[in-house]
Parts: sequence; structure tokens; C-alpha cells
Amino acid sequence: MKDLLKHIDRRRFLNVSAAGIAGALAAGSARPLWGQAKERPKPTADTLIVLWMAGGMAQTETFDPKRYTPFEPGLESRRVLSTFRPMDTVVDNIKVSEGFTRLAKVMDRGTLVRGYQAGDLGFILHSRHQYHWHTGYAPPQSVAAPHIGSVIARTLGPKNPDVPAFIDIGQNMEIGAESDALKAFHTAGFLGTEYGPFMIADPADAMASVRPPAHMTSSRFQNREKLYKKMLEANPVLRQGADFQQESFVRAMDNAHRLLNAPAARAFDLSLEPKESYARYNTGRFGLGCLLARRLTEAGARFIEVTTEYIPFRFWDTHENGHDRMAALKPMIDGPVAQLVLDLEERGLLNRTLIVLATEFGRDMMTEGKPGLEVKNQVDVPDTMAATKHYGMHRHFTEAGVVLLFGGGMKRGFLYGETADERPCKVVRGAMGIEDLHATIYRAMGIPADLAYEVEQRPFYVTRDGKGKPRMDLFA
Amino acid sequence: MMDISFRPLLAGLCALPALLAQDSLGDRAHAVLAARCLGCHGSQAQGGLDLRTQAGALRAVQPGNSAASLLMARISGAKPPRMPMGGAPLTASETELLRQWIDQGAPYPAARAAEPKWTPPLAPRQVTPPAGGAHPIDAFLPVNKPLVSDGVFARRVWLDLWGLLPTPAELKRFEDDRTEGKRDKLVARLLSHKENYAGHWMSFWNDLLRNDEGVIYHGERKSITPWLRKALEDNLPYDEFARRLISPESPSDPDGFLTGVTWRGVVSASELPPMQAAQNSAQIFLGVNLKCNSCHDSFISKWQLADAYGLASFFAPEPLEMVRCDVKTGRVQQARFLFPELGSVPEGLDLKGRRAVAADLFTKPANGRFARTYVNRIWARLLGRGLVANVDDLSAEPWNADLLDWLAMDFAGQGYDTHKLLARIMNSRAYQLPSVTEVSAGPRYRFEGPERRRLSAEQLADAVASLTGEWRPVENRATREVAYAREWRFKSSPLTRALGRPIRDQVTTVRQSQPTMLQGLELVNGATLARMLRRGAQRLMGTLPPAPKALFDSGPVRGVKMRPRCEIDLTGASKLWLLLEDYDTYDPARARAGWMAAEFVTAAGAAVPAAEAFPATRLNALPLGTELVLDLAGKGFTRFVATAAVEEASAASDVNASVRLFAFTQEPDREQLVQAAGPTPVVRPHLSLATPQLAVIHLYRHALSRDPSAAEMMLARQTIGARLTPEILEDMLWALVMSPEFQYIR
Repeated sequence: MKDLLKHIDRRRFLNVSAAGIAGALAAGSARPLWGQAKERPKPTADTLIVLWMAGGMAQTETFDPKRYTPFEPGLESRRVLSTFRPMDTVVDNIKVSEGFTRLAKVMDRGTLVRGYQAGDLGFILHSRHQYHWHTGYAPPQSVAAPHIGSVIARTLGPKNPDVPAFIDIGQNMEIGAESDALKAFHTAGFLGTEYGPFMIADPADAMASVRPPAHMTSSRFQNREKLYKKMLEANPVLRQGADFQQESFVRAMDNAHRLLNAPAARAFDLSLEPKESYARYNTGRFGLGCLLARRLTEAGARFIEVTTEYIPFRFWDTHENGHDRMAALKPMIDGPVAQLVLDLEERGLLNRTLIVLATEFGRDMMTEGKPGLEVKNQVDVPDTMAATKHYGMHRHFTEAGVVLLFGGGMKRGFLYGETADERPCKVVRGAMGIEDLHATIYRAMGIPADLAYEVEQRPFYVTRDGKGKPRMDLFA
Repeated sequence: MMDISFRPLLAGLCALPALLAQDSLGDRAHAVLAARCLGCHGSQAQGGLDLRTQAGALRAVQPGNSAASLLMARISGAKPPRMPMGGAPLTASETELLRQWIDQGAPYPAARAAEPKWTPPLAPRQVTPPAGGAHPIDAFLPVNKPLVSDGVFARRVWLDLWGLLPTPAELKRFEDDRTEGKRDKLVARLLSHKENYAGHWMSFWNDLLRNDEGVIYHGERKSITPWLRKALEDNLPYDEFARRLISPESPSDPDGFLTGVTWRGVVSASELPPMQAAQNSAQIFLGVNLKCNSCHDSFISKWQLADAYGLASFFAPEPLEMVRCDVKTGRVQQARFLFPELGSVPEGLDLKGRRAVAADLFTKPANGRFARTYVNRIWARLLGRGLVANVDDLSAEPWNADLLDWLAMDFAGQGYDTHKLLARIMNSRAYQLPSVTEVSAGPRYRFEGPERRRLSAEQLADAVASLTGEWRPVENRATREVAYAREWRFKSSPLTRALGRPIRDQVTTVRQSQPTMLQGLELVNGATLARMLRRGAQRLMGTLPPAPKALFDSGPVRGVKMRPRCEIDLTGASKLWLLLEDYDTYDPARARAGWMAAEFVTAAGAAVPAAEAFPATRLNALPLGTELVLDLAGKGFTRFVATAAVEEASAASDVNASVRLFAFTQEPDREQLVQAAGPTPVVRPHLSLATPQLAVIHLYRHALSRDPSAAEMMLARQTIGARLTPEILEDMLWALVMSPEFQYIR
């Protein structure tokens, strides 16, 4: 595409793509530039759920188990590849790390990718890698890059107009030093605030986001809207002439009120879920987030992200005590994710809902970065382990990571990619970077990898430079 | 998808900025059709519908009757299949646009002749304003319409200069004033108030200069707030302003601008700090976009890779080696200005020397583009549309080149004084015309008045605060001074982000002002606005409980080394409130802190440990957010003594507890735990509650700068009923604030 563009002078470029320029200005947001393909890919999914394991989930402790070495004082760090035993799943050639009894039983509904490789950004900073994962671009960028949820919201629009097209569950935005970096990618960027995330920090509180303000009764809230409409009617200034600006504003208010009154709003109310079902999901905020995601999918959501939440050094961000912390984290996700898959399947929605469980990079005990492209160590790993706090995967490993994909047109019970069984545990087959992962996800949603949006008279591609190639092997 | 045969309709529109100049309703509607429909309903004429001509569109369009037009039913989904098929639905604005276009007869323009190409001048150009017109701007833009009323004018200038609403008292004074030139005098008076002026324009410059409050980035990033605030308060001449940013020399100069936004790790060559400096300074000060050609020669303009590097080399320790698409070229580009005709760069200069040369080249009088770019930004800010429509691309043809050149030279001639520039524009008739939302059809943009503009996020927040008197205090973390603050002083909130306050990683010159559903949700039931209005209504009614002063304020307590001692007098107190607040802890859920070694001292001087005095209540190792209320009745305690402390485990790096403890002997106001010293940015309004009429008149005059109509008064009286309560007032305030009349500058 780049070489082609070199030969198109400005006039022709603008004439050739004339159609949308003024349209973009008229509409106030960047216009799409559909790429080379004559036809858009047929979607295999209508809804995307990203289950975000923030903090760098150790792949050899979860879905790419290696040889188990039990702890003993004096154990050499470099001998440890996994601190858990592997266990069988319902898929013959797939083993996962012990502790995933429920997920093991639903492996036949999905594809397991073992060769995901995070970007080489020269230094491990979680929020920078998270930005890279969610936008496909490494910051700093000269334009505000949009989150994958925003790209989908912009390109496809909401599924049910009463449900915001991009919903983000589980992340508190004020987390100390990396707050601003976090905010930098939780945005629709240049696509326009219309497509930004609807944030729900605590799923148990989700109902509050679609209810009248806490101190206001429902009837007062309805009366307030009536008063508003009557005031507009009585207003002598507003009645002077047709005015699409004013109409747009009132319509935005109407849309908000409509959501609050719509049947879809009940999806946000977890208290309406039957008790036994609620209990199956209730391992904490993440678990309830998965329940909320299911309910929203049933109500017609388009893109939902549920995160285990990024807080520096918490959850998957194991700089020490890796084994013990992983032992506590696995039950947090095992039941809810498996239940989400089963519930969607039971409701006939799994085939058209793509679930992607992913993380910004994996972990290793020895390498920080990639073998051959190491970066500054941020964790002190002793040569031999003296205490259990040393026992686990503590360094940030961008060479390999896992992605689990369920439903949405993906192969069932399929293994893609492989890492070596011995250090440095490089990817030996099926290496995939974010460009191709996004291309694959977008393809499933019916979006070509070289779709671009125009910003400042240049195309900004949904995968970096339009280079993403979907891995068709993953599709059923 | 791209229908090249649509070219006749867009003939002559060979440049994007020129396109911006043509935007009658018909043009804009056609642009939407072109972008969203012609892919199938152009030359392919799917379903027999060809939207390129009126004849071809009749299948779906009934000119004059949008309600009966199939097109409207399809795009709304009322009549499936919803259009565009397989694509995102049209936005509310686009739908409205098409509705109005159809109702106005669905006009299609005649073909236009090709226009000659425009070359932007570099040097300033002397222009004599046309004859006639007391004010030179009006000589260029004669529009024969009556000016806006005093009320509309007052609201406009207050918002444009201070970002605040005129108070009813100020409004009355202005309206009653019969002196000659009172409007000019009002502008001058508003300009002379340093704090209020700066309190508004800070946001404009924060957007441009990528400066923000409370931002902590990994790597280097430096705030320029103290310098910027002072520069605005002192009305620093614009050329000097730019020079300090481009070539900071003294310690108080804003070197944060050149530091840029950096992230730890490997950064693309095109985004290294000197490249960021080149991109940003070119965009802000000269309306040149160097972003494309920071990686390769631009495909859409004349700028080349060497130009970006040439400018960047002014800001790099050593001249930079050019990197094309992340591949080193082996060629070093010496410092070279974008317009070499303005001057060459002596060889062998160090960084400081090169910066000084850059500052000179940017700001010298011969660089007419410098003044043009700025006056264009200010014009766009005040009139809603730049003389060059895209304020970041001054290579495009202005819709009135004479006016732009005259204004630029006028500005440079009077010493680059921004106040004088603002007054110049605001004293013209052009600025005081009624605002327009539509422009009449025609081949070129014709000025008929300022465009209607939306209140910014900060203006909205400050307007609500000034309406209610409910200002929030902000604490300066370095000096611990607490003052009532305008919105710009606070970190962005979900409300202000939804309303368009940008993440300041990139330069923002124009904010998004379209209404969106997410905004709607924040405005309708978001917690931030709800709290402001609820407290605001209580404050106006006088029912807000007073905010007592804390008897003990630990200040920020971090780690285990900080253990401030609390010793307070309990004489006469019936209750003791002990609060433990989070102050930016990494992981608040796991942090524990509290009152260590707490004791209550009796009148006799005996010290009773807290565990004995209140056995049911633990005072230490508490979760954050704990509020303890201890009943002192009958206990005879005269003093409370304790040490504010973070638990050992909570000091660990993955919890990083940072807390603040307070003790009160009267019920605290959780929104005002620390008391602000000093006045509110505007005097708190006094709502006359003598009669409902007076209250309603006051509200309308404050919110909308006009009296309520008879119908509005009747509605308000009905709503208030027998007695105005804080709840009713809150809801009326909300409805007023949600009125498009409030949200836009008329």
C-alpha cells in the first residue's frame, strides 16, 4: 500500500478518496478507508468479549505447562520451568496447568494459541505493553490511537442500540503512577468520544451506571425528564428555526434516557441473576464481570472487555511469590470463564460470540524480554531459591504467551503454536504478534486488517500499517 | 466504494481545506451521502437508487418531505433492511442533516469550475481595509443584520474571556448602562482581570502545549504550569511567549515543552523528543503538519523527511541522522528551517545556540506565517471557524485572505499583544452578530455571523460551579495550600473526558464538541455532575451544613517513617469523628492504617487506652475509607492523643499506602475535609427566595442571561408549587443546564 501511495499525488489521493473527506467533516469524525479488498469479510462473530489478564500472565503456569519442579530450598532457579503439574483436558493433545479443572472441560470449545509474542519495546513497562496490545501501536504516537473496542464500535456500531457498543468492566482508573498511561489507551482517540468505553469499575455496581443518580427515586428521575422536555417546549429561543446541533444534543440526552429505561438496562442488574448461577461466577470482581459480560451479550452488546484489573505488582504481575499467587489466581478465573463459555453455548450464542482471553506478555524465571533481545532486568532472581517467595515465574517474557479463543468461528479443540520445552522456551511454531492476532480477531468480526481511518489526511490502519494477516488456520 | 464518477459533483474541490470552505447544508448532506451511501447507491445504483442526482434519488427521497422519504426510514431502521447495509448506522448528526436537507427540497448543486491552485504567502502582506465600516474587520465582512442583545453579548464575552457566566448583578449593570462604547469597555474590563482570564485560557494552551495537571508518566515529562499561568496572567507578548517555549534559557522557562512525552524503552525515531519538538512547534506556531514526513517524504504535501529532521536538529544535542521508516539512512541533516529564505543557520552552534536561532526564525517579522497562524487560531476560537478552516494547515486558501493578512499584520504591528487582538475582534460587529448554524448555499463560504459553539468541558463545570457557588478546593501537593479552583486545576474526570477534555499526549487544537450518548449518560446520571448539582442546590438554598475545620489533619502519610502525632482538645465535644482517607495508594483494597497508641485523657490527667475507652471499636490497622464516630457523652475526656500510622505490611511496594487522617469534633463535610483559604473564583450567588418569581428570574438570568418567558415562568411556578425545596431546585438547575441554549454559546 505504501509503495502504491508514493505514486499517487495529492490531488489524485484526495479525489480517489473524495467520497468521505467532507463526510468526515460533516459527521465530525474520521472517515473509513476501505482497503484493497473488494468485499468485506463475512463475520463469524457479532460480539467480542476480551478477558484481559492484566499484568503478564505466566504461560508455563497456566496454559502452556512445562516440566514440573517442586520447591526445595537450594533449588536452582534456572531449573524451574513450571511450579505446577500439568493436567489433562478434554482435548487429547492439550494439557494445561493444574488448577483449571473447569476450563479443562471446555477446551473442546476453543482454540489455544501458544506462540503469542509481545512487542519489543526496549523496556518492560506494563502500561506501555498494554497500550500496544489494545491499540496495536506502541506509544508515543503522533495521533491518539484508538482502543480495539473503539475501532469495533466505530466500524460496526452497536448491536442493540440500547447497549453501548464498547463496555469496559473491572478497571479502576486511578491506580497511582501508571494512571495516565492507562487512560492514554482507554480511549477512542481520533475516532471521537462517541466510540469511547463505557466504564464500569465494579460489576456489582453496574446497575448504578444505568439507574438514576443514587439519591434520586425513579419517579423523581422520570419527572425530571418530563420537566426537561417541557422546558424545551416553553423555550422561545430554541424554537427559532431548525437546528441540527440542538437536535443532536437533545437526541443524545434522549438516547441516554432511553438506555436507562430500556429492557437492556436490566442486563446490568446482577441481582436479577438466579442465585445458583450467580454463585458459580462469584469468585470476586472478575468472576462477576464475566457474569455481567454474559448478560450484556444476551442483551446485544458488541464489545466487552472484562479485566482482572491492572494494579502494579498485583494479580498476574508476580514479581515474587509467583507460585502461591498463581494458586490463588487460578480459581478466580477458572470457574467464571468456563461458565461463561458454557452459558453462552447453552443459550445458542457461543457460535457468534468470540471470547479472547489474553495478556500483555508471558513470564519466565531467567529471561527479561526475549532470548537474544533481553532488556533491563527488573526483578532480582537469585541463582538458588532460599524461600518460597523466590518460587514462581517472575520475570517479564515477551517471547511467548498464550491466547485462548472460544466460539465466534474459531476451531474447536485446536492447538496452534508451540514453545520449546527447555529454556529459553522460544516459540518454535506458530509465532504470532499483535498485528496478526488483531487481524484474526477483526476478521472474525467482519473487519479487514487493512481498514484505515482517516486522520489529518492520512490513513491510520486498524492493524499496524495495515500489515496484519489473519491466521485462517484458526477458523473452523 | 470510492465512486470516481462522483467527480463532477466535487469538481474543483481539489484540496481538503478548500472543501472545508464549501459547506452549505446541501454540501454537507452530499458529503454524508458520498461517505456512507454511494458505494452501493452511486454508479452501481443498487436497488435502482442512484443518489448522485435528484432524479436518481427520487426513489427514496421526497423533496420537501423527510417523513415520507424511504431514505429516512431505511437509515433509522424503521423499514428494514437498515442502511447502510453491513455498515455502522448513521450518527444522530448525520441523520438530522439528511432530514433537513430533504425538507429543504433535497437540493443538488450545479457543477463547479476548477479553481486555480493557492500558494500560501510567507511574508506579511500589507492590506488596506475596504472603505466604509467603522471597524476594519467589518469593512472586510459587511453583514447587514442587527447585532445581538446585551444579554447575549454579555454571556458570549464572559464565556469567551473568562469561561464563566455573567452574574445577574453584572448583567443588570451592563444592561442598564447607557454610556457610549459600553461593549468595548466590558471587553476591556474582562481582559484586565488576570486570574479569571488565565483561568479560562489555561485549558486552551494546555491542549496545545500538551501540559496537564496531576499527570505522572514514567520517563521524563515536565509540567509548564507555573510559567504558563504567569504568562497568561501577565499577558506575555505572543512572540516572546513562543520564544521562551522554543528556546528556554532561564530555570523558570518552560523546558517541559521541548521535553515532550517520553516513555521508557525504545521509541520510534520519528517520536524522539527533538522530532516531537519539531512536529509540535511546526503545528502550533506555523500551521505545518510534519507528522507524515517524520518517517518518509509526505504523500500529501510538499514536506519531506529532510524538512522534519532539519527542524528537529535545532532541538537535538547533535544534528540528527535521518531514519526513513525505521531504517537509518546514514545521512545527517543539519539544522535547517522549514522556510530557508527566512535565514540560514550558522555552523557549529551548540544546542543552546541552535535553539536561539530557531526562536528567532519562528518569530521574526518576516515570518508572516507565525502571526497568521495565531490570529487564525484566535479567530477560529471566537468565531467558530478559522479564516483558514483547518487551523493546523495554513497552506490552504483562506476564505478571506485580505482579512487574514490584515489582521496578522495589525497583530504584529501592535506588539503581538493577545489582549489587543482579542479586543480587536470582539469589538467588531462581525463578532457581535447573531450566531449561525447553517450557511447559505453557494460556491464559496460566505460569512454571515459567528458559528454557534459548544461550551467546553471546563466551561461547563465552571458554569455549574458559578451558578451554584459550589466550588471545589484543590490542594497544592508541594505547598499544601488549599484554594478554590477552576476546573483546569483538577485531573480529568469521567465527566470532563466524556465532554471532550483530551488526553494530552498529543497536541489538540480543536476539541470534539459533538454530543454523544456517553456524554448523555454522564450528564443524565453520572455521579460527578449529580454531586455538583445536589450540593449546589443545597448551597443556594442555604441548607448545606457548614464544613467544620478538622482539629487534626495528618497531611499525606506514606510508609512507616512518617508518624505524625495527633493531640486534640475534646473539651465540650460530644462526639469524635476519626477519618482515614486514601491519598493515592497503589492498592487501596489492601492498605491498612490508623491511630496507633491511641489514648483518651481525663480531666484528672489519667490516660485511658482507646481499647479500654471504646472496647468495641478498633482504632488501628483499619481499611481505607473508614469513618469512626465515637460517642464521648458522659466520659469526661478532655484530650485525645494518638499517632497516625500506616501498618508495616502496607508500606510494601505493591501496596504503597499513602493515606491521610482527620479528626473532627463536629460532623465533617466529606467534600471539604480541607478548608480552602481565600475567595471562590466568582462571588457566590445569592438566590432570592422571597418569592418563587424572583428565584426563577435569578436562575434564568444567571444561566441564560435573559429573563424567562411567560411560558417558562408558568412552567417554573407549576414545578415549584407551594414551596421551593433543594430537590426541586436541583432538578430545575439540571434541566436548565441540559438545555441546548445553556450548552452552546448563542
